[in-house]
Amino acid sequence: MAEYLLEMKNVTKKFPGVLALNKVMLQLKKGEILGVCGENGAGKSTLMKILSGTYPFGTYEGEILYEGKTIQLTDVAVAQKYGIEMIYQEINMVLHSSIAENLYLGNLPGRGQRVDFKSLYAGTKSILERVGIDAKPTDKVAKLNSGQMQMLALMRTYIKNPRILVLDEPTSALTNSEVDQLMGILKELRDKGISCIYISHKMEEIYRICDRVLVLRDGQTIGCHETDQVKEETLIEEMVGRKIENLYPKTKVAIGEEVLRVEHLSVPHPTMKGKNIVDDVTFHLNRGEILGIGGLVGAGRSEILGALFGQLFKGVTKEVYIEGQRTTIKNPADAIKAGLGFVTEERKLNGFIWMLSIRDNMYLASLKELPVKGPFVDVKEENSRSQVMFDRLRIKAPSIHTIVNTLSGGNQQKVVLSKWLVKSPKILFVDEPTKGVDVGAKAEIYSLMGELVESGISIVMVSSDLPELLAISDRVLVVSNGKITGEFDRDEMSEEAVMRAAIK
Amino acid sequence: MKKNRWIQVLATKNEIGTLLPLVIMCIVVTLVNPNFISFSNLMDIFRTTSFYLIVGAALTFLLVASDLDLSIGAVTALGGVACMFAMKAGVPAALCIVIGLLAGAAVGIFKAWIIVDCELPALIVTLGIQYAVNGIVSITTKGMSVSGATEGFKVLGQGRIFGSVYITIVIALVIAVVFQLILSYTKYGRSLFAVGGNPETARLAGIPVKKRRREVHILVSVFAALAGILMASRFASAQTTAGSGTELTVMAAVIIGGTSMFGGSGSVVGSILGCLLLAVISNGLVLIRVDSFWQNLIFGVILLISVAIDKYRQKLSSAA
Repeated sequence: MAEYLLEMKNVTKKFPGVLALNKVMLQLKKGEILGVCGENGAGKSTLMKILSGTYPFGTYEGEILYEGKTIQLTDVAVAQKYGIEMIYQEINMVLHSSIAENLYLGNLPGRGQRVDFKSLYAGTKSILERVGIDAKPTDKVAKLNSGQMQMLALMRTYIKNPRILVLDEPTSALTNSEVDQLMGILKELRDKGISCIYISHKMEEIYRICDRVLVLRDGQTIGCHETDQVKEETLIEEMVGRKIENLYPKTKVAIGEEVLRVEHLSVPHPTMKGKNIVDDVTFHLNRGEILGIGGLVGAGRSEILGALFGQLFKGVTKEVYIEGQRTTIKNPADAIKAGLGFVTEERKLNGFIWMLSIRDNMYLASLKELPVKGPFVDVKEENSRSQVMFDRLRIKAPSIHTIVNTLSGGNQQKVVLSKWLVKSPKILFVDEPTKGVDVGAKAEIYSLMGELVESGISIVMVSSDLPELLAISDRVLVVSNGKITGEFDRDEMSEEAVMRAAIK
Repeated sequence: MKKNRWIQVLATKNEIGTLLPLVIMCIVVTLVNPNFISFSNLMDIFRTTSFYLIVGAALTFLLVASDLDLSIGAVTALGGVACMFAMKAGVPAALCIVIGLLAGAAVGIFKAWIIVDCELPALIVTLGIQYAVNGIVSITTKGMSVSGATEGFKVLGQGRIFGSVYITIVIALVIAVVFQLILSYTKYGRSLFAVGGNPETARLAGIPVKKRRREVHILVSVFAALAGILMASRFASAQTTAGSGTELTVMAAVIIGGTSMFGGSGSVVGSILGCLLLAVISNGLVLIRVDSFWQNLIFGVILLISVAIDKYRQKLSSAA
């Protein structure tokens, strides 16, 4: 019996022009949870794609040992034969099929072409009870929330009797109580002798659940530690490759008069009839302030911003006063005219345009303000203005003509921010501003937000990251079930207080 | 530094991929049959190209905005027929042209309304419109061509400037140049790329996405009608089959020219080359005595290759 269930030795993977992995070593014991952390672009996903057979044997150098024997993972099916199962960050479910069919997707019980519905539904029922999802096996998956879907994805692989489970940022769509549940199930699996590789940015989760943690940086193995013998700062230092003086730089700005007041904001729930996802919310924002909005995923936080900005419109009722003036906002164009900007949570979905250059993305919201010469855009002037912004935000890219898709998460987020800096709104909404952004770029984004409030812009920030919310906000509102259940000034804020209000 | 950037531009410009087969094709045909580069033959090729291009330039805008249109052929026929009906009734030629264009615009407005405001898929809607408009043309003409072009009107499609270059070619070239300038150097062009690249991002940036999509749909129909009017002028009568099949040829030409099927990238210069390539192939095949039945097969293969290249390019830039 070999010491390790799985070993990856000197794995090197090259893409045209990029060395994605450079002699990476990974060792996984039987019945342990191994955390893998690193900044975006460190090579975590590439490593896992090799392990899952997505990048097949032969497209990389190095060796993979399974119970001490060399194996060749030539495709996904082979990896699954060895009991290696992946759970991805993005939910992949057949939304309009039943829970049971999704759970046993590609694995339906029954002989030949006949499906054994009896055991299908019985099996599904017991699993649903086990993970505490209140639904029937025949219900459509679309009725579940994202946390429940993620749980279903976990159980889908579980019933295939895996030996190695690989989870890639599994909690990004989960609420705190769902995270607890997920952790519980993972620990149970570990005790049954199943090994897990747990990829995550979140230090708190790594410490909570992982036995050991492997740090990757720039495609190289930097270190591997017993979790209870390594300090968080050490891990962060290893991930970033330099010391970060202050994770949460906060700029002191004098708070001025009221710039935005929202009264009686209600947004109907997208799927449940007769229920409001935002229910009669009233709040205000002052000049130079960063107003944090906390709460659980699905509490209605993003919808508050979306409805104010005119992204959501159907059935929305609201009274909005900007600098004391009653303002009607029916669509994003109205909102921008009124001096609002919105950095959305899903930047890939609606924040940037991937095939366009950094420069073109910067000017998306300010096409009307493009410098012109006669009927044409003054490209020279446009380039030089973009270059100034590019330098100011320290965007890491070859030039302003680089396609946004090729940038890392942090740099993409900077491009999205720059889109609004070019426009220079009075009020900026930011929704999960550091989601999928690596530690180094996070601090830069916070200081940038500081610069913005210094220049007189006011910010409303939705965040699920409690340390971030508390460190950056001047005032925090907590939303639960569509209502504001807590408001805290800087001296009253604490993680406990926010959590308590969030589960009210 | 300067030189380096040029290499980069060359490598990333989609047009090179079209220029290369075009040049090779020209050389091969010329070697087999030197008549290919005779002045009159080249004029013939350019003339064919210009009919494609008049629609192709507008269609480039539509594809950049991530839409498509299969009703081009029918609208081309409609434009010609409407124009000639008016002429037969004694309306002055200039006004007849306007009437033809308005007929195109009417179809375009209807099409834009169904696709953009009723949110039905463009593929099926434009296919339906293709049938319906073809039907209208057949019913009103009873399947007969509409003749009676005035001498003045015929100049448009048959006349030559300085006795050598067809006016149609000049018109197409002017349209193409103007469209290319709009696309790359105006705020309007920038907004089209945004709409096609990611409509939701564009909407959240305050760009009037629906308005842009309506505009380009109408634009394509108007220019399809213009092509029909010019054809009517060239043949001195409007044929009910005038545009049949052009929707696919022109769409193929634009895509071959490097405009993405997936929206958000493209150029009119590429479309010129694409139109030229298809025109050269159909002309060249005749000159080197290949059976014209081969033409469709070759067009099809070229189109498939260009779509594959388009997809490959996407993959390249998303993998990096």
